Amino acid sequence: MASTSSSSPFASVASPLTNVYDRFSRWRSALGLSNPGTVENLTKEVKSTHLTNFFFDGARADLAKNLSVLPLFQVTHSFSLASQTAPPTYNFGAVFANNSVLLTGNVDSEGNVNGRFNHGWTATSVTKVQAQLSQQAGHNMIHLEHDYQGSDYSVNFKALNPSPTDFGGMYFASYLQSVTKNLAIGFESLHHRASGMTDTSTSYLAKYTGSNKDWIATAQLQPSGALQATYWQKLGDKVEAAADLHLVNAPQRRDAVATLGLKYDLRMSTFRAQLDSTGKVSALLEQRFAPTFAFLVSGEIDHFKNAARVGMGVMIESGSMSPEEMGMQPPPQPPV
Amino acid sequence: MPSEENKERIIRVVEFGRVVLHYGWIPFIIYVGYTRSNPQPSLIKLVSPLA
Repeated sequence: MASTSSSSPFASVASPLTNVYDRFSRWRSALGLSNPGTVENLTKEVKSTHLTNFFFDGARADLAKNLSVLPLFQVTHSFSLASQTAPPTYNFGAVFANNSVLLTGNVDSEGNVNGRFNHGWTATSVTKVQAQLSQQAGHNMIHLEHDYQGSDYSVNFKALNPSPTDFGGMYFASYLQSVTKNLAIGFESLHHRASGMTDTSTSYLAKYTGSNKDWIATAQLQPSGALQATYWQKLGDKVEAAADLHLVNAPQRRDAVATLGLKYDLRMSTFRAQLDSTGKVSALLEQRFAPTFAFLVSGEIDHFKNAARVGMGVMIESGSMSPEEMGMQPPPQPPV
Repeated sequence: MPSEENKERIIRVVEFGRVVLHYGWIPFIIYVGYTRSNPQPSLIKLVSPLA
């Protein structure tokens, strides 16, 4: 350090600054803060406990074929019919992944294509492109994103439908910083440009993780007056519970929805149950009879509207290799 | 700011890229997966849900 500062005049001029920076970064690493996780995954634990993202109705069959493990190459055929909310569809999907690249594609029977491309430059720096391509005009979407995770912070930039001619589109920037070993705070800004009009809004985030990482509380305040608060707790080895409160306090609309969910992870099955303040009770059971065959049953009763929905599904996996062979090779860790 | 003529050209290029991506993305993944897979699968296994 001393030899470089004497040899270069620039280094000697900058040395007070670099010293301060060095001392600051040493002080920062001495705090021993861990990475708070990304803003996108702020409520990941709650989402995986609740069955909102897993619920389906009608009949469903998913046939997945693992053609290769390293690199991962998988094709899926999904059939769904008799749903009350969605028309019957057939969906073909393909996934290719190795340790630095993830490619996924989906095409449905109407010819809509969903694609995703993730490239991990390093383990903490990932670029993502997501596209939705449709025959109808106006249903196309492209999503460019870069994710960077530092030692105690996460940064993310996103552009939604950026137009190369007038720079229109939606731009997101988010930052989440660990302040203590438990608490992380951050913000997410949205900049919207469309035909000469621009609009910027910022929402604020906070995440508190229990010391044993067995409970997580998050809050997100949006400028429109919406507040989302979640709480997730690991009750035991196999049981997780999550609560979610969504408040809207806008001049036009005042609304609140609370959701309570429970998830059991048993050896051969996963069971999720959920209750919310709109009067809905729902449950989903995923039972694995064999490593390659799973059976799903779901049900929902809306007590206030007096309506019910049920669903049934099968998931069949087949591969060119025997389960023993597949178990020997560790699957790749693609950038997600 | 680009001129009107260039704007038109950019929009045409973007539209062409969109069409290429729409029809080429899934075949591209299958091509990449098929050539990089270890061991290489047979083509019939790739497309038929039953095989």
